Amino acid sequence: MIEIEGLCKRFTVRERTSAFALKASTRIVTAVDNVSFNAKDGEVTGLLGPNGAGKTTTLRMLSTLLSPDAGSARIDGADLVSERAKVRQRLGVLGDAKGLYWRLTARENINYFGRLQGLSLPDSERRTRVLIDELGLHDLADRPTQGYSQGERMKVAIARALVHNPQTVLLDEPTNGLDIMSTRSMRELIRGLKAQGKCVLFSSHIMQEVAALCDRIVIINKGRAVFSGTPQEVLATTGLDSLEDAFVKLIGSEEGLFA
Amino acid sequence: MSAFSLTRLSIVARKEIVDLLRDRKSIFLALFGVAISGPLVVCLLYFVAQSIQGRIEKITAPIVNAQFAPDLVRYLERRGIKVEADPPDYEARVKNGELDVALVVEPNFAEALASGRQATITLVTLSSRERSAPIAGRLTGEVRGYATMIGNERMILRGIAPAVARPVQLEELDLSSVEQRSARFLQMMSFYALFAGLMGAIAAALDVTAGERERQTMEPLLTTPVAVAELALGKWLAVALVNLLAVTASMLGFLIALKLVPLGKLGLPFNFGAREFTGFMAVLIPFAFMVPGVLLAFGAAGKTAKEAQSSLTLAVSLVGLLPLISWLRQTKAPWWDVWVPVNGQFAVLSKVLRAEAILPLEWAAMWAVPALICLVALIAFARRLGDEKMLAGR
Repeated sequence: MIEIEGLCKRFTVRERTSAFALKASTRIVTAVDNVSFNAKDGEVTGLLGPNGAGKTTTLRMLSTLLSPDAGSARIDGADLVSERAKVRQRLGVLGDAKGLYWRLTARENINYFGRLQGLSLPDSERRTRVLIDELGLHDLADRPTQGYSQGERMKVAIARALVHNPQTVLLDEPTNGLDIMSTRSMRELIRGLKAQGKCVLFSSHIMQEVAALCDRIVIINKGRAVFSGTPQEVLATTGLDSLEDAFVKLIGSEEGLFA
Repeated sequence: MSAFSLTRLSIVARKEIVDLLRDRKSIFLALFGVAISGPLVVCLLYFVAQSIQGRIEKITAPIVNAQFAPDLVRYLERRGIKVEADPPDYEARVKNGELDVALVVEPNFAEALASGRQATITLVTLSSRERSAPIAGRLTGEVRGYATMIGNERMILRGIAPAVARPVQLEELDLSSVEQRSARFLQMMSFYALFAGLMGAIAAALDVTAGERERQTMEPLLTTPVAVAELALGKWLAVALVNLLAVTASMLGFLIALKLVPLGKLGLPFNFGAREFTGFMAVLIPFAFMVPGVLLAFGAAGKTAKEAQSSLTLAVSLVGLLPLISWLRQTKAPWWDVWVPVNGQFAVLSKVLRAEAILPLEWAAMWAVPALICLVALIAFARRLGDEKMLAGR
C-alpha cells in the first residue's frame, strides 16, 4: 500500500551556456511537482509518462534514495522520512540502476541482498533457491554474472529485489531492453505478484504494457500527475477509444520526443 | 531495527573481500608488483655497490705528460693502479664521461721536483658527475700520498721529523658506523615499504568506490536497510585487509632477497632480520589501514567512475609526495617531523634500519596520526556514500 501526498522534488542544475563558457549558471528544475496518488495491495499501478516526466524521481523518492522537498508518502503506513528503515524493509526495489556484481554468481548476488535485508543465512539461502527456481536461473546460478544476457541480468536483479518477500514492489521500467520472451515472463511475474496480494507500482512509457497489466494508471507529465484512474476511466474522460490517443491528449502534446 | 549492526558490517566486509579477491588479474598484479619491487631494489643496490667497488679497485689513471713523472707512475703502479700514458683529447672525453678523470703533469714537473720548487699536477674531473667522484677521490688520495712520501723523505734527509711540518694532524672519525652507512642504502627500502602500503590499496579502493558506481550497484544497495556507516566501514576493512596482504608480501620479499643476495661480501652488513621485520610491521600496519581510508574518501567523490578515478589519483600523488620532505631536507629533522603522515613513517622506518632506539612518543605518532586521519577520512567517505547529490540528476 502506497499513499502519496503532494510529493515535490527540486534539483539545482549547474549548466554552461556553451562548452567554452567559463561561468556556469544554476537553474532550479522541478522534477516532481505536487504529485499525489495511492497504490493498493493486490493491484498493479502503472506510472505512465514521457521521458523526463519525473517517473524515476518519484520512484527514487519512494525507495528512500532521495528525500522529498515537500509532501509526504507512506508505505504500508510507515512514513517515508521518519521511518526510513521500516520502509526499506517493506519495499522491494528494481530501480533505474540495475547493476550486478560481475564477479559474484547470481546466487551470491541474491544472497548478499537477502543478508542485508536482515534474513538469517539459512533463510536467505532458502529464499535465493526458491527465486532461482521460479525465475528459471538454475543452469547459470553458480556462474559469475559477467557473461549473462540482458534478460538473465534483469532476472537476477528482480530476484535480488524480491529476496525478502516485500509487500510493496517498485519497478522502474522493468521491460526496458528486454526481448519479447523476457518481456512476457516479466509480465507473468508481475501478475504473479498481484495474485499474491502485493502492491506493485511500475513505471513505463509503453502504452500496450500498461494497458495489458494495470488496474490503475497514473499519468505523469512535466512533474505533475495529470490523471489517475482505471484504463476505462482514461478512455471515458478523454472520449477517445484508443489508450494511446488518450495518453497523448492527456499530456497535451503531440510533440513527444521533441517536446 | 538497530541503526548500526555489526552483523551487516561483517556481511558487507566479507562480500567485498570475496569480490576483490576474485578479481585475480588485478590482485595478482598488485601483490606481485609490490612483492617483486622490494627484492628488485635490493638486487639493483647490490649490483651498484659491486660495480662501484670494482671500479675503485680496478682503476686506470690517464696521465698527460706521464714521461715527465716516471716516479709517480711507478708509485701508482705499485699501488695497483694502471697508468694510461697521454690520453688523446682528454678534456673532451672527461666532459662526455668516457674518462672519469685525467691527471695532467706540467712539462717542467721533473725539473721543479728536482730543484725543490713546487711541482704541479692538475686533476681534471667533472664534479657534477656522481659516478666519477669515488675515482677522483681515490686518485687525489694517491697523489697526496705520493707527495707526502717525498716530503717526509726530504725532511728525514735534513734531519727533521716529519711531524714538525705538520703541527696539526687532522684525524677523521666517521660517526656513521658501518651499520649506519649501509642503512643509507636501505632508506630506499623504507621508501619501497611505504610504496607497498600505497599500491596495495589503489586497485581495491577504486573497485569498491568507482567500480560500484560504474556497475550501477550503489543504488540497489542503498535501498536495503544497510546503513552508510556499515557500508563505509565494511568496504574500508576489506580494502585494508587486501592492502595488509600486499605489505606483508613486500616485507617477506625483502626478507628473502636480503638472505639470498651476498651483500656481506661487499662490506655492507645489511641487517633485515626478525627485529627489523617486526619494527617495520609495527609501523606499516597502522599505515596500511590509514591509506585505504584516505583513498576511499577521495574515490567516493564524483558521480562517475571517471571522476572518482581522477580524484583518487590526486590522493595517490599527495601520499607519494610527502616523504620527499625528509628525502630532500639537508638539516636535522624538527620535532614535528614524525607527526607528518607518510613522512613520519619514512623517518621511523629509517630509524628501525639504522638500529636506533625509537622513542615511545614516536611510536605514539605512528599509531595516533593514522588513527586520526583514518577517522576523519571514514566520516567523509560515509557522508559521500550517502549523499543523494551523487545519485540525483545524473
